[in-house]
Amino acid sequence: MSEIYRKFGRTVRYDGGMFLRVEEAGQATETEQTFSCQPIARTVDLPDIEPDVVARTVRSIESVVSAPLTIERLVVSEGVAEHEFNDRRWQETTRRIHLSIVFGSLRALVDLAEFDIDAISFVAEALVRAGEQRRAPARIRIASNVSAALLPSLAGLAPPNVRLWQTAGGIDGKGEPVADHEIASTTYPNWYRPSYRTRPVRAPFNLRATCDVNAIDEDLPRAIALLAPPAGLSLRVLCVDAGDVYPATVRVARIDAIATATHWYPYAAGSFGAEMML
Amino acid sequence: MTAPSHFAIVTRDELWSLDRHTVLESRLIHGSAEQHGNRIDARDDSDDELRRLCDAECDRLREALKGLREGRARAVASATRVGGNVTTTSTISATVLDLSVATTLPHLAPDYEMLVDLASVKPTVDTDYARLPVVWRNGSGAVLLHEAAGHAAEHGHAQLAWPRWLSATDESEDGASNLLAGEAPRALRRQSFADVPLRRMTNVVIGSDSDSPLPDSRIEVLLVAGGRYEPLSGMVSLFVSAADEIDGGKSSRVRPFMILESRASIAAAMRGALGPVRRYPGVICSREGQELFVGSYAPDLITDFR
Repeated sequence: MSEIYRKFGRTVRYDGGMFLRVEEAGQATETEQTFSCQPIARTVDLPDIEPDVVARTVRSIESVVSAPLTIERLVVSEGVAEHEFNDRRWQETTRRIHLSIVFGSLRALVDLAEFDIDAISFVAEALVRAGEQRRAPARIRIASNVSAALLPSLAGLAPPNVRLWQTAGGIDGKGEPVADHEIASTTYPNWYRPSYRTRPVRAPFNLRATCDVNAIDEDLPRAIALLAPPAGLSLRVLCVDAGDVYPATVRVARIDAIATATHWYPYAAGSFGAEMML
Repeated sequence: MTAPSHFAIVTRDELWSLDRHTVLESRLIHGSAEQHGNRIDARDDSDDELRRLCDAECDRLREALKGLREGRARAVASATRVGGNVTTTSTISATVLDLSVATTLPHLAPDYEMLVDLASVKPTVDTDYARLPVVWRNGSGAVLLHEAAGHAAEHGHAQLAWPRWLSATDESEDGASNLLAGEAPRALRRQSFADVPLRRMTNVVIGSDSDSPLPDSRIEVLLVAGGRYEPLSGMVSLFVSAADEIDGGKSSRVRPFMILESRASIAAAMRGALGPVRRYPGVICSREGQELFVGSYAPDLITDFR
Protein backbone atom coordinates (compact mmCIF):
# COMPACT_ATOMS: atom_id res chain seq x y z
CA MET A 1 0.00 0.00 0.00
CA SER A 2 1.35 3.43 -0.82
CA GLU A 3 0.98 6.55 1.28
CA ILE A 4 0.64 9.93 -0.39
CA TYR A 5 1.57 13.22 1.24
CA ARG A 6 1.26 16.67 -0.36
CA LYS A 7 2.61 19.98 0.77
CA PHE A 8 1.94 23.49 -0.50
CA GLY A 9 4.35 26.06 0.85
CA ARG A 10 5.44 29.67 0.71
CA THR A 11 8.44 31.10 2.53
CA VAL A 12 10.30 34.36 2.79
CA ARG A 13 13.89 33.86 3.89
CA TYR A 14 16.93 36.03 4.48
CA ASP A 15 20.06 33.97 3.83
CA GLY A 16 23.60 35.05 3.00
CA GLY A 17 22.64 38.68 2.37
CA MET A 18 19.75 37.77 0.04
CA PHE A 19 15.99 37.89 0.54
CA LEU A 20 14.37 34.86 -1.07
CA ARG A 21 10.69 34.30 -1.68
CA VAL A 22 10.02 30.65 -2.48
CA GLU A 23 6.74 29.16 -3.75
CA GLU A 24 6.48 25.41 -4.14
CA ALA A 25 4.23 22.40 -3.88
CA GLY A 26 5.06 18.74 -3.99
CA GLN A 27 3.92 15.21 -3.44
CA ALA A 28 5.69 12.32 -1.79
CA THR A 29 4.69 8.69 -2.33
CA GLU A 30 5.96 6.02 0.00
CA THR A 31 5.66 2.27 0.14
CA GLU A 32 7.37 -0.02 2.61
CA GLN A 33 10.39 -0.25 0.32
CA THR A 34 10.41 2.92 -1.77
CA PHE A 35 10.07 6.69 -1.57
CA SER A 36 9.53 9.12 -4.42
CA CYS A 37 8.63 12.79 -4.67
CA GLN A 38 8.01 15.43 -7.29
CA PRO A 39 6.61 18.94 -7.63
CA ILE A 40 2.87 19.32 -8.26
CA ALA A 41 0.68 22.23 -9.34
CA ARG A 42 0.37 25.00 -6.74
CA THR A 43 -3.40 24.74 -6.41
CA VAL A 44 -3.79 25.98 -2.84
CA ASP A 45 -4.16 29.66 -2.01
CA LEU A 46 -1.86 30.36 0.89
CA PRO A 47 -1.86 33.50 3.03
CA ASP A 48 0.59 36.19 1.99
CA ILE A 49 3.77 36.71 3.97
CA GLU A 50 4.80 40.27 4.65
CA PRO A 51 8.47 40.38 3.56
CA ASP A 52 9.14 43.53 5.57
CA VAL A 53 8.77 41.57 8.82
CA VAL A 54 11.79 39.43 7.90
CA ALA A 55 13.71 42.49 6.69
CA ARG A 56 12.98 44.41 9.91
CA THR A 57 14.08 41.41 11.97
CA VAL A 58 17.36 41.22 10.06
CA ARG A 59 18.00 44.92 10.65
CA SER A 60 17.23 44.53 14.35
CA ILE A 61 19.62 41.60 14.67
CA GLU A 62 22.34 43.49 12.81
CA SER A 63 21.89 46.41 15.19
CA VAL A 64 22.40 44.31 18.33
CA VAL A 65 25.23 42.19 16.94
CA SER A 66 27.73 44.92 16.22
CA ALA A 67 31.53 45.29 16.29
CA PRO A 68 33.63 43.78 17.73
CA LEU A 69 31.12 40.97 17.21
CA THR A 70 30.49 39.72 13.70
CA ILE A 71 27.63 37.78 12.19
CA GLU A 72 29.04 34.62 10.64
CA ARG A 73 25.71 33.28 9.39
CA LEU A 74 22.19 34.61 9.66
CA VAL A 75 19.07 32.93 8.34
CA VAL A 76 15.69 34.47 9.15
CA SER A 77 12.57 32.90 7.68
CA GLU A 78 8.83 32.97 7.85
CA GLY A 79 6.73 30.32 6.18
CA VAL A 80 3.22 29.09 5.71
CA ALA A 81 2.33 25.59 4.55
CA GLU A 82 -0.69 23.44 3.94
CA HIS A 83 -0.21 19.69 4.36
CA GLU A 84 -2.33 16.84 3.09
CA PHE A 85 -2.07 13.17 4.05
CA ASN A 86 -4.83 10.78 3.03
CA ASP A 87 -7.99 12.82 3.71
CA ARG A 88 -6.45 15.05 6.38
CA ARG A 89 -5.42 18.63 5.70
CA TRP A 90 -3.73 21.00 8.11
CA GLN A 91 -1.90 24.32 8.00
CA GLU A 92 1.06 25.62 9.90
CA THR A 93 3.04 28.81 10.07
CA THR A 94 6.66 28.95 11.13
CA ARG A 95 9.22 31.54 12.09
CA ARG A 96 12.88 30.65 12.44
CA ILE A 97 16.14 32.41 13.22
CA HIS A 98 19.48 30.67 12.86
CA LEU A 99 22.37 32.89 13.88
CA SER A 100 26.04 32.35 14.56
CA ILE A 101 27.86 35.22 16.22
CA VAL A 102 31.65 35.36 16.30
CA PHE A 103 33.87 37.04 18.87
CA GLY A 104 37.56 36.24 18.43
CA SER A 105 37.74 32.45 18.26
CA LEU A 106 34.31 31.94 19.85
CA ARG A 107 31.11 31.20 17.96
CA ALA A 108 27.77 31.46 19.75
CA LEU A 109 24.83 29.64 18.16
CA VAL A 110 21.27 30.92 18.42
CA ASP A 111 18.24 29.02 17.09
CA LEU A 112 14.82 30.47 17.72
CA ALA A 113 11.24 29.79 16.65
CA GLU A 114 10.19 33.42 17.00
CA PHE A 115 11.65 36.79 16.10
CA ASP A 116 12.92 37.45 19.64
CA ILE A 117 15.63 40.10 19.46
CA ASP A 118 15.98 40.26 23.26
CA ALA A 119 17.22 36.65 23.34
CA ILE A 120 19.89 37.54 20.77
CA SER A 121 20.84 40.76 22.51
CA PHE A 122 21.32 38.85 25.78
CA VAL A 123 23.79 36.43 24.16
CA ALA A 124 25.59 39.20 22.24
CA GLU A 125 26.10 41.33 25.35
CA ALA A 126 27.64 38.39 27.21
CA LEU A 127 29.76 37.12 24.34
CA VAL A 128 31.56 40.42 23.92
CA ARG A 129 32.78 40.15 27.53
CA ALA A 130 34.04 36.55 27.16
CA GLY A 131 37.48 35.76 28.56
CA GLU A 132 39.67 32.68 28.42
CA GLN A 133 38.44 29.09 28.54
CA ARG A 134 37.92 27.72 32.08
CA ARG A 135 37.02 24.40 33.64
CA ALA A 136 33.29 24.01 33.93
CA PRO A 137 32.01 24.75 37.45
CA ALA A 138 31.11 21.66 39.50
CA ARG A 139 27.53 22.94 39.75
CA ILE A 140 25.97 25.02 37.01
CA ARG A 141 22.63 26.20 35.67
CA ILE A 142 21.78 25.57 32.01
CA ALA A 143 19.54 28.15 30.35
CA SER A 144 16.46 26.91 28.47
CA ASN A 145 17.92 27.67 25.02
CA VAL A 146 20.89 25.42 25.86
CA SER A 147 18.95 22.61 27.56
CA ALA A 148 16.56 22.46 24.58
CA ALA A 149 19.47 21.54 22.32
CA LEU A 150 20.57 18.86 24.79
CA LEU A 151 17.22 17.05 25.01
CA PRO A 152 17.47 15.01 21.76
CA SER A 153 20.76 13.57 23.09
CA LEU A 154 19.04 12.49 26.32
CA ALA A 155 16.69 10.06 24.54
CA GLY A 156 17.56 6.66 25.95
CA LEU A 157 20.30 8.17 28.14
CA ALA A 158 18.42 10.31 30.65
CA PRO A 159 19.59 9.90 34.26
CA PRO A 160 17.20 7.86 36.48
CA ASN A 161 15.77 10.95 38.23
CA VAL A 162 14.85 12.57 34.90
CA ARG A 163 11.90 11.60 32.70
CA LEU A 164 11.72 12.55 29.05
CA TRP A 165 8.41 13.27 27.38
CA GLN A 166 6.92 13.96 24.01
CA THR A 167 4.49 16.83 24.61
CA ALA A 168 1.09 16.98 22.94
CA GLY A 169 0.67 19.60 20.23
CA GLY A 170 0.58 19.82 16.47
CA ILE A 171 0.31 17.22 13.73
CA ASP A 172 3.03 14.82 12.65
CA GLY A 173 4.29 14.02 9.14
CA LYS A 174 1.57 11.43 8.57
CA GLY A 175 -1.35 13.54 9.76
CA GLU A 176 -1.58 12.10 13.27
CA PRO A 177 -1.95 14.37 16.30
CA VAL A 178 1.13 14.53 18.47
CA ALA A 179 0.07 13.19 21.87
CA ASP A 180 1.75 13.12 25.28
CA HIS A 181 4.06 10.15 25.46
CA GLU A 182 6.87 9.20 27.78
CA ILE A 183 10.12 8.63 25.92
CA ALA A 184 11.56 5.60 27.70
CA SER A 185 13.61 4.32 24.77
CA THR A 186 14.40 5.37 21.23
CA THR A 187 11.11 4.13 19.79
CA TYR A 188 8.66 6.91 18.97
CA PRO A 189 4.98 6.97 18.01
CA ASN A 190 5.11 9.84 15.51
CA TRP A 191 6.71 10.63 12.15
CA TYR A 192 8.89 13.66 11.42
CA ARG A 193 8.83 15.04 7.88
CA PRO A 194 10.55 18.44 7.62
CA SER A 195 10.08 18.60 3.83
CA TYR A 196 8.10 16.70 1.21
CA ARG A 197 11.47 15.71 -0.26
CA THR A 198 12.54 14.04 2.98
CA ARG A 199 11.52 10.48 3.75
CA PRO A 200 9.69 10.63 7.10
CA VAL A 201 11.38 9.08 10.13
CA ARG A 202 10.05 8.28 13.56
CA ALA A 203 11.14 10.97 16.00
CA PRO A 204 10.09 12.49 19.32
CA PHE A 205 8.14 15.76 19.01
CA ASN A 206 8.18 18.66 21.46
CA LEU A 207 10.64 16.98 23.83
CA ARG A 208 10.41 17.96 27.47
CA ALA A 209 12.35 16.74 30.49
CA THR A 210 10.93 16.60 34.00
CA CYS A 211 12.49 15.99 37.38
CA ASP A 212 11.00 15.67 40.87
CA VAL A 213 13.12 18.64 41.95
CA ASN A 214 12.16 21.96 40.31
CA ALA A 215 13.97 24.48 42.48
CA ILE A 216 16.99 26.06 40.77
CA ASP A 217 19.75 27.75 42.77
CA GLU A 218 19.80 31.18 41.14
CA ASP A 219 23.28 31.94 42.52
CA LEU A 220 25.03 29.26 40.46
CA PRO A 221 27.02 30.09 37.31
CA ARG A 222 24.80 29.85 34.24
CA ALA A 223 25.43 28.46 30.73
CA ILE A 224 23.62 30.95 28.53
CA ALA A 225 24.56 29.94 24.99
CA LEU A 226 25.90 27.07 22.94
CA LEU A 227 29.36 27.58 21.45
CA ALA A 228 29.05 24.40 19.35
CA PRO A 229 26.31 21.90 18.60
CA PRO A 230 25.98 19.34 21.44
CA ALA A 231 28.27 16.34 21.07
CA GLY A 232 26.22 13.68 22.81
CA LEU A 233 26.04 14.74 26.45
CA SER A 234 28.97 17.16 26.12
CA LEU A 235 28.13 20.85 25.78
CA ARG A 236 30.54 23.63 24.84
CA VAL A 237 28.90 26.67 26.36
CA LEU A 238 29.30 30.31 27.29
CA CYS A 239 29.16 30.64 31.09
CA VAL A 240 28.20 33.71 33.08
CA ASP A 241 29.56 33.56 36.62
CA ALA A 242 28.90 36.75 38.62
CA GLY A 243 30.79 39.36 36.58
CA ASP A 244 32.84 36.83 34.59
CA VAL A 245 32.01 35.37 31.20
CA TYR A 246 34.00 32.43 29.81
CA PRO A 247 33.75 29.39 27.56
CA ALA A 248 33.66 25.96 29.19
CA THR A 249 32.84 22.37 28.32
CA VAL A 250 30.13 20.81 30.44
CA ARG A 251 29.66 17.03 30.55
CA VAL A 252 26.14 16.19 31.60
CA ALA A 253 26.45 13.27 34.03
CA ARG A 254 23.81 14.26 36.57
CA ILE A 255 20.79 16.57 36.48
CA ASP A 256 19.76 17.82 39.93
CA ALA A 257 16.72 19.93 39.04
CA ILE A 258 14.62 21.08 36.10
CA ALA A 259 12.39 24.15 36.33
CA THR A 260 8.77 23.85 35.26
CA ALA A 261 8.68 26.91 32.97
CA THR A 262 9.48 25.89 29.41
CA HIS A 263 10.08 27.50 26.05
CA TRP A 264 9.92 25.79 22.60
CA TYR A 265 13.00 25.73 20.38
CA PRO A 266 13.37 24.36 16.83
CA TYR A 267 15.80 21.52 17.50
CA ALA A 268 14.91 18.41 15.45
CA ALA A 269 11.12 17.95 15.83
CA GLY A 270 11.06 20.53 18.62
CA SER A 271 12.27 20.79 22.21
CA PHE A 272 10.83 22.52 25.24
CA GLY A 273 13.89 23.91 26.97
CA ALA A 274 13.77 24.57 30.69
CA GLU A 275 16.29 25.93 33.16
CA MET A 276 18.31 22.97 34.44
CA MET A 277 20.66 22.61 37.37
CA LEU A 278 23.57 20.19 37.09
CA MET B 1 29.95 41.16 -9.68
CA THR B 2 26.29 40.17 -9.48
CA ALA B 3 24.79 36.77 -10.17
CA PRO B 4 22.98 36.20 -13.45
CA SER B 5 19.36 37.27 -13.13
CA HIS B 6 17.78 34.01 -14.27
CA PHE B 7 18.51 30.52 -12.99
CA ALA B 8 16.57 27.34 -13.67
CA ILE B 9 17.23 23.73 -12.81
CA VAL B 10 15.77 20.27 -13.22
CA THR B 11 17.27 17.48 -11.11
CA ARG B 12 16.58 13.78 -10.79
CA ASP B 13 18.08 12.27 -7.67
CA GLU B 14 17.87 8.48 -7.27
CA LEU B 15 19.12 6.11 -4.60
CA TRP B 16 19.85 2.65 -6.01
CA SER B 17 20.40 -0.70 -4.37
CA LEU B 18 23.02 -2.12 -6.72
CA ASP B 19 22.74 -5.67 -5.35
CA ARG B 20 19.03 -5.82 -6.21
CA HIS B 21 19.23 -3.26 -9.02
CA THR B 22 16.21 -1.38 -7.71
CA VAL B 23 15.49 2.27 -7.03
CA LEU B 24 14.90 2.82 -3.31
CA GLU B 25 14.32 6.56 -3.44
CA SER B 26 13.60 8.89 -6.34
CA ARG B 27 13.27 12.65 -6.31
CA LEU B 28 12.37 15.04 -9.10
CA ILE B 29 13.20 18.65 -8.31
CA HIS B 30 12.67 21.61 -10.59
CA GLY B 31 12.36 25.33 -10.31
CA SER B 32 13.56 28.74 -11.34
CA ALA B 33 14.89 31.83 -9.60
CA GLU B 34 14.84 35.44 -10.75
CA GLN B 35 17.32 37.71 -9.02
CA HIS B 36 16.83 41.45 -8.69
CA GLY B 37 19.67 42.95 -6.65
CA ASN B 38 19.55 41.23 -3.27
CA ARG B 39 16.09 39.74 -3.85
CA ILE B 40 15.38 36.33 -5.37
CA ASP B 41 11.93 35.13 -6.41
CA ALA B 42 12.01 31.35 -6.64
CA ARG B 43 9.29 28.92 -7.64
CA ASP B 44 9.10 25.29 -8.65
CA ASP B 45 8.38 25.89 -12.36
CA SER B 46 9.47 23.31 -14.89
CA ASP B 47 11.64 24.29 -17.86
CA ASP B 48 10.72 21.87 -20.67
CA GLU B 49 14.11 21.93 -22.38
CA LEU B 50 15.92 21.30 -19.10
CA ARG B 51 13.49 18.51 -18.26
CA ARG B 52 14.29 16.73 -21.55
CA LEU B 53 18.03 17.15 -21.03
CA CYS B 54 17.85 15.97 -17.43
CA ASP B 55 15.75 12.92 -18.32
CA ALA B 56 18.17 11.97 -21.10
CA GLU B 57 21.12 12.31 -18.72
CA CYS B 58 19.27 10.27 -16.12
CA ASP B 59 18.68 7.51 -18.69
CA ARG B 60 22.42 7.43 -19.34
CA LEU B 61 23.08 7.21 -15.61
CA ARG B 62 20.64 4.30 -15.19
CA GLU B 63 22.26 2.49 -18.09
CA ALA B 64 25.69 2.95 -16.55
CA LEU B 65 24.47 1.70 -13.17
CA LYS B 66 23.33 -1.59 -14.73
CA GLY B 67 26.92 -2.77 -14.80
CA LEU B 68 27.41 -2.30 -11.04
CA ARG B 69 26.55 -5.24 -8.82
CA GLU B 70 27.47 -4.37 -5.24
CA GLY B 71 26.55 -1.70 -2.68
CA ARG B 72 24.46 1.42 -3.16
CA ALA B 73 24.65 4.45 -5.42
CA ARG B 74 23.07 7.87 -5.29
CA ALA B 75 22.82 9.14 -8.84
CA VAL B 76 22.02 12.80 -9.48
CA ALA B 77 21.40 14.20 -12.97
CA SER B 78 20.85 17.94 -13.38
CA ALA B 79 20.25 20.34 -16.23
CA THR B 80 20.68 24.02 -15.39
CA ARG B 81 20.16 27.30 -17.17
CA VAL B 82 22.18 30.28 -15.95
CA GLY B 83 21.27 33.29 -18.03
CA GLY B 84 21.40 31.83 -21.57
CA ASN B 85 23.88 29.09 -20.74
CA VAL B 86 22.55 25.53 -20.43
CA THR B 87 24.63 22.75 -18.88
CA THR B 88 24.02 19.15 -17.92
CA THR B 89 25.82 17.36 -15.11
CA SER B 90 25.65 14.01 -13.41
CA THR B 91 27.27 12.77 -10.25
CA ILE B 92 27.25 9.38 -8.60
CA SER B 93 28.09 8.63 -4.96
CA ALA B 94 28.76 4.91 -4.75
CA THR B 95 29.16 3.01 -1.49
CA VAL B 96 30.57 -0.48 -1.02
CA LEU B 97 30.87 -1.73 2.56
CA ASP B 98 32.35 1.19 4.53
CA LEU B 99 33.89 3.02 1.57
CA SER B 100 32.42 5.60 -0.79
CA VAL B 101 33.46 7.60 -3.83
CA ALA B 102 31.81 10.54 -5.51
CA THR B 103 32.34 10.62 -9.25
CA THR B 104 30.90 11.68 -12.57
CA LEU B 105 29.33 9.60 -15.33
CA PRO B 106 32.38 9.46 -17.66
CA HIS B 107 34.52 8.11 -14.83
CA LEU B 108 32.01 5.87 -13.09
CA ALA B 109 33.35 2.51 -14.32
CA PRO B 110 37.03 2.95 -13.32
CA ASP B 111 36.16 4.73 -10.05
CA TYR B 112 33.67 2.02 -9.06
CA GLU B 113 36.25 -0.64 -9.91
CA MET B 114 38.75 1.16 -7.69
CA LEU B 115 36.14 1.33 -4.89
CA VAL B 116 35.40 -2.40 -5.08
CA ASP B 117 39.12 -3.14 -5.13
CA LEU B 118 39.76 -0.94 -2.08
CA ALA B 119 36.80 -2.44 -0.21
CA SER B 120 38.10 -5.96 -0.82
CA VAL B 121 41.12 -5.40 1.44
CA LYS B 122 40.43 -5.55 5.16
CA PRO B 123 42.35 -3.08 7.34
CA THR B 124 44.66 -4.86 9.75
CA VAL B 125 46.78 -2.24 11.48
CA ASP B 126 46.51 1.17 13.11
CA THR B 127 48.77 3.97 12.03
CA ASP B 128 49.93 7.37 13.21
CA TYR B 129 50.25 9.95 10.48
CA ALA B 130 52.63 11.99 12.63
CA ARG B 131 55.17 9.12 12.61
CA LEU B 132 55.74 8.69 8.85
CA PRO B 133 55.68 10.76 5.69
CA VAL B 134 52.26 10.71 4.03
CA VAL B 135 51.99 10.25 0.26
CA TRP B 136 48.64 11.39 -1.13
CA ARG B 137 47.90 8.93 -3.95
CA ASN B 138 45.15 8.88 -6.57
CA GLY B 139 44.92 12.69 -6.66
CA SER B 140 43.77 12.75 -3.02
CA GLY B 141 46.16 15.65 -2.32
CA ALA B 142 43.56 17.84 -4.04
CA VAL B 143 41.18 17.08 -1.16
CA LEU B 144 43.82 18.17 1.37
CA LEU B 145 44.29 21.50 -0.42
CA HIS B 146 40.54 21.86 -1.08
CA GLU B 147 40.17 22.10 2.70
CA ALA B 148 43.41 23.86 3.65
CA ALA B 149 43.58 26.42 0.83
CA GLY B 150 40.24 26.38 -1.01
CA HIS B 151 37.88 26.94 1.88
CA ALA B 152 40.29 29.42 3.44
CA ALA B 153 40.18 31.38 0.16
CA GLU B 154 36.38 31.21 0.12
CA HIS B 155 36.44 32.79 3.58
CA GLY B 156 38.99 35.44 2.53
CA HIS B 157 41.55 34.26 5.07
CA ALA B 158 45.13 35.50 5.00
CA GLN B 159 47.46 33.64 2.68
CA LEU B 160 50.22 31.44 4.06
CA ALA B 161 53.81 30.72 3.04
CA TRP B 162 53.09 27.77 0.77
CA PRO B 163 56.09 26.17 -1.01
CA ARG B 164 57.06 27.84 -4.28
CA TRP B 165 56.92 24.52 -6.16
CA LEU B 166 53.22 24.10 -5.35
CA SER B 167 50.18 25.60 -7.05
CA ALA B 168 46.47 25.19 -6.32
CA THR B 169 43.96 26.62 -8.76
CA ASP B 170 40.20 26.58 -8.85
CA GLU B 171 39.07 26.34 -12.47
CA SER B 172 35.57 27.12 -13.69
CA GLU B 173 33.86 28.65 -16.72
CA ASP B 174 34.06 31.97 -14.89
CA GLY B 175 37.85 31.82 -14.74
CA ALA B 176 40.70 30.54 -12.63
CA SER B 177 41.67 31.65 -9.16
CA ASN B 178 44.93 31.07 -7.31
CA LEU B 179 43.79 29.47 -4.06
CA LEU B 180 47.25 29.61 -2.44
CA ALA B 181 47.23 33.39 -2.98
CA GLY B 182 43.86 33.59 -1.24
CA GLU B 183 41.84 34.33 -4.36
CA ALA B 184 38.21 33.34 -3.90
CA PRO B 185 36.65 31.02 -6.49
CA ARG B 186 35.19 32.93 -9.43
CA ALA B 187 32.06 30.84 -9.89
CA LEU B 188 28.81 31.59 -8.11
CA ARG B 189 27.20 28.19 -7.57
CA ARG B 190 24.02 26.91 -5.93
CA GLN B 191 22.58 23.48 -5.37
CA SER B 192 19.01 24.28 -6.31
CA PHE B 193 16.55 27.02 -7.23
CA ALA B 194 15.70 27.88 -3.61
CA ASP B 195 19.36 28.33 -2.62
CA VAL B 196 21.52 31.44 -2.48
CA PRO B 197 24.38 31.52 -5.02
CA LEU B 198 27.76 31.37 -3.29
CA ARG B 199 31.36 31.60 -4.42
CA ARG B 200 32.28 27.94 -4.37
CA MET B 201 35.03 25.78 -5.82
CA THR B 202 34.36 23.96 -9.11
CA ASN B 203 37.56 22.10 -10.06
CA VAL B 204 40.59 22.12 -7.76
CA VAL B 205 43.76 21.51 -9.75
CA ILE B 206 47.05 21.05 -7.95
CA GLY B 207 50.30 21.63 -9.82
CA SER B 208 53.91 21.07 -8.88
CA ASP B 209 57.45 21.80 -10.06
CA SER B 210 58.76 19.21 -7.65
CA ASP B 211 59.91 15.70 -8.52
CA SER B 212 60.63 14.21 -5.13
CA PRO B 213 61.78 10.65 -4.41
CA LEU B 214 59.24 8.34 -2.81
CA PRO B 215 60.10 7.74 0.88
CA ASP B 216 60.84 4.05 1.62
CA SER B 217 58.62 4.08 4.69
CA ARG B 218 55.37 5.97 4.29
CA ILE B 219 51.60 6.08 4.62
CA GLU B 220 49.83 6.12 1.27
CA VAL B 221 46.41 7.81 1.38
CA LEU B 222 44.13 6.18 -1.18
CA LEU B 223 40.66 7.49 -0.34
CA VAL B 224 39.33 10.33 1.80
CA ALA B 225 35.81 9.98 3.22
CA GLY B 226 35.38 13.64 4.04
CA GLY B 227 36.96 16.81 5.28
CA ARG B 228 36.18 19.99 7.10
CA TYR B 229 37.71 23.44 7.45
CA GLU B 230 36.88 25.34 10.64
CA PRO B 231 37.06 29.00 9.68
CA LEU B 232 37.46 30.32 13.23
CA SER B 233 40.47 28.23 14.18
CA GLY B 234 41.89 27.49 10.74
CA MET B 235 41.90 23.78 11.63
CA VAL B 236 41.50 21.17 8.92
CA SER B 237 40.13 17.70 9.61
CA LEU B 238 40.31 14.95 7.02
CA PHE B 239 38.81 11.48 7.43
CA VAL B 240 41.03 9.00 5.62
CA SER B 241 38.99 5.90 4.81
CA ALA B 242 41.56 3.84 2.90
CA ALA B 243 45.33 3.97 3.25
CA ASP B 244 48.32 1.65 3.26
CA GLU B 245 51.37 1.73 5.45
CA ILE B 246 54.45 0.88 3.43
CA ASP B 247 57.65 -0.27 5.07
CA GLY B 248 60.19 -1.08 2.40
CA GLY B 249 58.56 -3.90 0.40
CA LYS B 250 55.82 -4.63 2.96
CA SER B 251 52.37 -3.07 2.64
CA SER B 252 49.55 -3.17 5.22
CA ARG B 253 46.06 -1.68 4.92
CA VAL B 254 45.50 0.66 7.88
CA ARG B 255 42.26 1.34 9.72
CA PRO B 256 40.49 4.62 8.95
CA PHE B 257 42.01 7.59 10.74
CA MET B 258 41.57 11.33 11.04
CA ILE B 259 44.13 13.98 10.26
CA LEU B 260 43.63 17.10 12.35
CA GLU B 261 46.04 19.96 11.65
CA SER B 262 46.02 23.72 11.26
CA ARG B 263 46.33 24.93 7.71
CA ALA B 264 49.61 26.56 8.73
CA SER B 265 51.00 23.19 9.78
CA ILE B 266 49.76 21.65 6.53
CA ALA B 267 51.62 24.35 4.57
CA ALA B 268 54.74 23.65 6.63
CA ALA B 269 54.37 19.87 6.13
CA MET B 270 54.48 20.05 2.32
CA ARG B 271 57.64 18.20 1.25
CA GLY B 272 57.25 17.63 -2.46
CA ALA B 273 55.36 15.88 -5.20
CA LEU B 274 55.91 13.23 -7.81
CA GLY B 275 54.25 11.74 -10.81
CA PRO B 276 51.63 13.14 -13.16
CA VAL B 277 48.52 15.02 -12.13
CA ARG B 278 45.82 12.42 -11.46
CA ARG B 279 42.08 12.81 -11.25
CA TYR B 280 40.66 12.04 -7.80
CA PRO B 281 37.11 10.68 -8.15
CA GLY B 282 35.70 13.90 -6.66
CA VAL B 283 34.35 15.62 -3.60
CA ILE B 284 30.78 16.37 -2.56
CA CYS B 285 31.42 19.65 -0.79
CA SER B 286 28.84 20.75 1.77
CA ARG B 287 28.72 24.34 2.94
CA GLU B 288 25.81 26.35 4.33
CA GLY B 289 23.48 23.45 3.60
CA GLN B 290 24.33 23.22 -0.09
CA GLU B 291 26.03 20.10 -1.49
CA LEU B 292 28.06 20.63 -4.67
CA PHE B 293 30.38 18.32 -6.62
CA VAL B 294 33.95 19.62 -6.90
CA GLY B 295 36.42 18.05 -9.34
CA SER B 296 39.85 17.26 -7.86
CA TYR B 297 43.21 16.79 -9.59
CA ALA B 298 46.68 16.45 -8.10
CA PRO B 299 50.03 14.72 -8.48
CA ASP B 300 51.13 12.50 -5.61
CA LEU B 301 51.85 15.00 -2.84
CA ILE B 302 54.19 14.24 0.06
CA THR B 303 53.57 15.71 3.49
CA ASP B 304 55.51 15.13 6.68
CA PHE B 305 53.99 16.13 10.02
CA ARG B 306 56.87 14.76 12.18
